[in-house]
Amino acid sequence: MAEVTLSNVRKSYGAVDIIHGIDLGITDGEFVVLVGPSGCGKSTLLRMVAGLETITGGEVNIGGRVVNDLDPKDRDIAMVFQNYALYPHMTVATNMGFSLEHRGGSKAEIAERVKWAADILGLAPLLDRYPRQLSGGQRQRVAMGRAIVRDPKVFLFDEPLSNLDAKLRVVMRGEIKSLHQRLKTTTIYVTHDQVEAMTMADKIVVLNGGRVEQIGAPLDLYDRPANQFVAGFIGSPSMNFLTGTITPEGFSAPGILLPLPEAAHGHKDRKTVYGIRPEHFALDDSGVPAEIVLVEPMGSETQVTMKLGETLVTGVFRERVSLSPGATIRVRPELGNIHLFAADGGQRLN
Amino acid sequence: MKAELSPRRQVFLYGLLCILLIPFVFPTWWMVTSSVKPISDIFAFPPQLLPESYDWTTYSKVFELQPFVKQYWNSAYIAALVTIGTMVVSSMAGYAFARIKFPFANAIFMVVLLGLLIPSEVTIVPLFQMFLKAGMVNTHWPLILVPIFGAPSVFATFVMRQFFIALPVELEEAARVDGLGRFKIFRKIALPLARPALASVAIFTFLHSWNLYLEPIVFLSSADKFTLPQALTQYTDAYGGPMWNIQLAAATLTALPVLIVFIIAQKQFVEGLAHTGLKG
Repeated sequence: MAEVTLSNVRKSYGAVDIIHGIDLGITDGEFVVLVGPSGCGKSTLLRMVAGLETITGGEVNIGGRVVNDLDPKDRDIAMVFQNYALYPHMTVATNMGFSLEHRGGSKAEIAERVKWAADILGLAPLLDRYPRQLSGGQRQRVAMGRAIVRDPKVFLFDEPLSNLDAKLRVVMRGEIKSLHQRLKTTTIYVTHDQVEAMTMADKIVVLNGGRVEQIGAPLDLYDRPANQFVAGFIGSPSMNFLTGTITPEGFSAPGILLPLPEAAHGHKDRKTVYGIRPEHFALDDSGVPAEIVLVEPMGSETQVTMKLGETLVTGVFRERVSLSPGATIRVRPELGNIHLFAADGGQRLN
Repeated sequence: MKAELSPRRQVFLYGLLCILLIPFVFPTWWMVTSSVKPISDIFAFPPQLLPESYDWTTYSKVFELQPFVKQYWNSAYIAALVTIGTMVVSSMAGYAFARIKFPFANAIFMVVLLGLLIPSEVTIVPLFQMFLKAGMVNTHWPLILVPIFGAPSVFATFVMRQFFIALPVELEEAARVDGLGRFKIFRKIALPLARPALASVAIFTFLHSWNLYLEPIVFLSSADKFTLPQALTQYTDAYGGPMWNIQLAAATLTALPVLIVFIIAQKQFVEGLAHTGLKG
């Protein structure tokens, strides 16, 4: 186990900057998720930690050692790849023991470690099979087994669940999380799926365009996003945004006047983005009118697309309400959960 | 889902395939049957599809008139060495061109490919002079070295490169994380996975070497050093006319191992071609 520190880490391909100087501290045993849209540089950053990409500038430190110029094999890391990268011509047992074999482990030691990992991951009956004889979930487990068998300082996961179906993804998500709780190995996990990030991480790093937008615990990011990008990226369905102006009467958006918390009036007359999560609308006869456009009953909740003034927003209601498209309801935004962002730049105002 | 063909279409298709087969099968049929015909029957009119009388002595004469066993051995060991040498050179070169970043890699690869465009008739004279200076004329060295570093190897390098390009790069990255260096990645990961491509390279190369004709007649002059295609031309009578039936018996014996190898390795051959995206 080890701490990982990135100091002003940069990556360029020729004149094109991909990573613009990232600082990140990961404590021993922490589960950190790098999340962001496609092309934000999260996989590149992970590969730089792994040693599979060169580092243009800055410093990567693993366990108190600067590893910038070390080969992947000398960094004491293990990586799980998106497509698992299992060696097709080797059995599960050989795949798992391969790294130990090349690090001079004795046969008995390798067999013992492989058995230990296989028992943890429920792979014992599959050890003699080849990757082509395994299901997606089993392959995923073998890839994890290959990583844990060596007891590395850091686990690196590069979108490991993206090739699985939705149901299996949820199962494997739980398995990875419980594996981390058991082994307590420092883990860096890359995903574009914010649900994975929220459910698995001790700490989330939101990346966008090669820059860190925000670092924090999942609920901190959810409750107090630092800017409009994070607010929109974290949470599903995503946060609703209405652009307008703060007036003494409230928030004036096209076609509607929305209530504001007292503290917000300090930003009077400023062009602002009003953010509210779908679950922070309450059905209330004293609320603002909203015309229903679409109703999607999910069982545990009902997702409603509605028109607030001229803006389409999504609301999620736990109550079993009978709503139909075209009808007008009254909804009340919960004042304690309103997020205000600067219309220029998107920085949080409240 | 495969579309089921109606019986009429099936009959038509099989009939068409049988007709298309004739130009390929007939020469082989003619060679095998004529090898046991008396010489007068070979050119009889109307032609005999099946021999009316069998003369098996042609096969014993093959061995009496030439050191055929020695020549068989010559062809076999030269083809084996060329095949192994080409597999080693082409797999390493193909891997380098596919995976290792070095300056002007693509331009160098293009230059290498140009080797395929130059007919061997063009290079044979300078090659002869070169081997003459090296004292290698009337030895088997030119027949071994020229294909390993010449056009057949260029083609094999192309095949291997195409295969390695298609190999997922994550496998190599996983191996790097697992602690392997470049050469071990090649030997332990890339090469074992390249078996279908290597098999097709082996078949191509073996066939090319086995059938090589121009180089042996240029470089070899003593009968005990001849390879089989060259030996076939030596079955002549006192006036220099070909002894057709004996020659065809020798040709049948020459074609036999190739036919067996092809039948055994047919699957790999086709798989290998599929990997390269080439047609035969």
